[in-house]
Amino acid sequence: MIAVILLLSVAASLFLFLRPAAGHTAEIYVDGVLYRRVDLGKLTAPERIEVRTERGVNVLLAEPGRIRVESADCPDKVCVEAGWLEDSAAPIVCLPHRVVIKLTGGTSLDAEAG
Amino acid sequence: MRRAASAILCLALLLALAGCAPQAQTATVFAMDTVMELTAYGDREAVDGAVSLIHALEDRLSVTAADSDIARVNSSGGGAVDPGTAALLRRALDISALSGGALDVTIYPLVRAWGFTTGEYRVPGDDEIGALLKNVNYAAVQAGEANVSLPAGALLDLGAVAKGWTGDQIAALWRQVGVKSGLINLGGNVQTVGGKPDGSDWVVGIRDPFSEDVLGAIAARDLAVVTSGGYQRYFEREGVRYCHIIDPRTGKPADSGLASVTVIGREGVLCDGLSTALYVMGLEDAVRLWRENTGFDLVLVTDGGQVVITEGIEGSFTPMGAYTDKEIKVMRRG
Repeated sequence: MIAVILLLSVAASLFLFLRPAAGHTAEIYVDGVLYRRVDLGKLTAPERIEVRTERGVNVLLAEPGRIRVESADCPDKVCVEAGWLEDSAAPIVCLPHRVVIKLTGGTSLDAEAG
Repeated sequence: MRRAASAILCLALLLALAGCAPQAQTATVFAMDTVMELTAYGDREAVDGAVSLIHALEDRLSVTAADSDIARVNSSGGGAVDPGTAALLRRALDISALSGGALDVTIYPLVRAWGFTTGEYRVPGDDEIGALLKNVNYAAVQAGEANVSLPAGALLDLGAVAKGWTGDQIAALWRQVGVKSGLINLGGNVQTVGGKPDGSDWVVGIRDPFSEDVLGAIAARDLAVVTSGGYQRYFEREGVRYCHIIDPRTGKPADSGLASVTVIGREGVLCDGLSTALYVMGLEDAVRLWRENTGFDLVLVTDGGQVVITEGIEGSFTPMGAYTDKEIKVMRRG
């Protein structure tokens, strides 16, 4: 009996720890610190997110399943040109503002070379 | 009663498991013109040490920071440098020689003339390129134990190898302090220490040079995975695309028929330097260099979208997305 309970508890624990996250969550970091988390799977309508940093402002557009930088007052606009982030282990980065947007869950990759 | 007991037991086990599993310790570092992400399981100090290491290396290796080893050597034609800087330069010169000069640590004046250092892009004339190329010659650079000497007019830039070297230094530090599982991502220049905490291999995607997707993934354990490609930085003028990797033979952006080169191996600095060199050399010469040497494998993508891999990674490379249906050509040593 105890063995069965033990087995069940281990199974339950493993289930809780190892189950994959459902869908993508976008994490927005400013200078390495989590600024906001957006569950893109639960979004039903587009949402505009203003990321105000010491160095400038990035305006993000989150839609069901994807997110992009719509506009930014950074000098190079690399973050805007990066387009939609929807299925990639490579984050959108705004180096001048130190803003990083990355997806968690849904991707099987640990990192992306390139 | 029994239900309560099993619930308590379950909770206890849950907490025990949470306590045992090494926690991911992470850091994000903005350095070397990119964003770096470090993950080491179970060791906060190892991650903090790596962050200090990155800043120290950037201070020495930056070509633009006024007081770096490289800036001082460039303004004075040589002199004393940190022994680590000299060791990196010696390794970079080895790789330059190995590639027959397709990697050249003195290409900086051309990179600057094309505007890739500032983003103010321009197409220099042939006379200007010819004049600048006279000072491009890695073979005339001397590197000792802690000193460097440059020929007159030459400028040094270790940008093509600095991130690979930094990854090697972090990986060495982590192994020394006993980190069993770590992931070092220096802006798409990836190195792995051990496997994942669950014992499986790290899965490192390789960017498709023609889209925002990945073309496949490498199962990696104690390996570096480094990609160079024209898609990473380029500008267009009158319908012509000019990429950031300059061919030292012509002084012009490389146009070898390859869209990207990924080098996989134990030594990050070799992978980093070779990814640039092989991109310049093209498919045929890249495969020839692979056949003549050991210590690395390749994923090459031609401008036409053909993927060519070398046999050492046949078992660890998985094509993904649009590439699952395409033929993957495997090169063999025989």
